[in-house]
Amino acid sequence: MSCQTVREQFDHRLDGRLSGHEQAAFEVHLAGCADCRREWEAYASAWQVLARDEGIEPSFGFAERTLRRLNEPRVDIRQWWWRPSIRWATLATTVVALAVTARVGHERMLNKRHAELYARVQQGEYLEDYDVIANLDQLKGGNHE
Amino acid sequence: MTSSDSDVALMLRVREGDTDALRELIERHQRTVINTIHRAIGDASEAEDLTQRVFVQVYRSAKRYKPTAKFTTWLFTITRNTILNEHRRRSRHPSESLDALQEPRDSESAGWQLPDTTMRDPAQEAVERELRERIKEAVRELPEPQRTAVILCRYEGLSYEEIAEVLGCSVSATKSLLHRARLALKDKLRGYC
Ligand SMILES: [Zn+2]
Repeated sequence: MSCQTVREQFDHRLDGRLSGHEQAAFEVHLAGCADCRREWEAYASAWQVLARDEGIEPSFGFAERTLRRLNEPRVDIRQWWWRPSIRWATLATTVVALAVTARVGHERMLNKRHAELYARVQQGEYLEDYDVIANLDQLKGGNHE
Repeated sequence: MTSSDSDVALMLRVREGDTDALRELIERHQRTVINTIHRAIGDASEAEDLTQRVFVQVYRSAKRYKPTAKFTTWLFTITRNTILNEHRRRSRHPSESLDALQEPRDSESAGWQLPDTTMRDPAQEAVERELRERIKEAVRELPEPQRTAVILCRYEGLSYEEIAEVLGCSVSATKSLLHRARLALKDKLRGYC
């Protein structure tokens, strides 16, 4: 077994996931390889020493105090976005967005009409240069359709 | 209610608004949740407050609980979300401790450090205390989600599959997270073990 294979098995060895045969091969390699043995000892002992942090206990009456909090007002997203300042900002943003959408839509409509007119000019339906008729739609009553 | 009621059975009762069932669930899992949070954020009093929020959230979200899900996986997912929210809040308001935002709480409400009855020699105690501090720091310094993976694996004994579910990633990604975390811990704790 190579050093790399052994090191790839460190986690499975720590988590007890090696089969009997794999574990035996693992131990045989460590017994004969000082580098891997050193690495394994550092790797395993850093994991094992974590157990020395035994943790804390909740204080007396924890469950009762928690139950008393069930009726606390919810701190949910509505409470901050429904503030007046945020509400007005949202309204203003919506108005601007609608205006931009309307403007873009209008321009698209104009471009479409220009394209139609250009096609009709190309087909000889109009004698004028396209440049002349390009802005016709923007003139009041300039639409010949 | 009997102590043999499963978590799922209790949760089904919580879904119907039964607060006795919730109390039982709290008593079963409070230590696990408070320690998971404490190991992630490092402050015992804030950990206790956030643990209470976790159980309040369990109650409020009970209708969304599906009995097919293992209760502890669901609980750890809420716990992790609560921790992530707290980290986000802290990064937005670095100077504010959670305590500053709370109503004054009972003096008994801070988490208790377990008394160590095995140590008597003051010098040895000091060494042990330093070791524990270094361990807590090393875990806390791990980036998310390595930190959660370590806490759930080392302290709560969850399987790779359960950790993957809590983290919302694959089992192979979980293994890789644990491997990188262990390499980092090996460096951080060099000279302490
Ligand atoms: Zn080797």
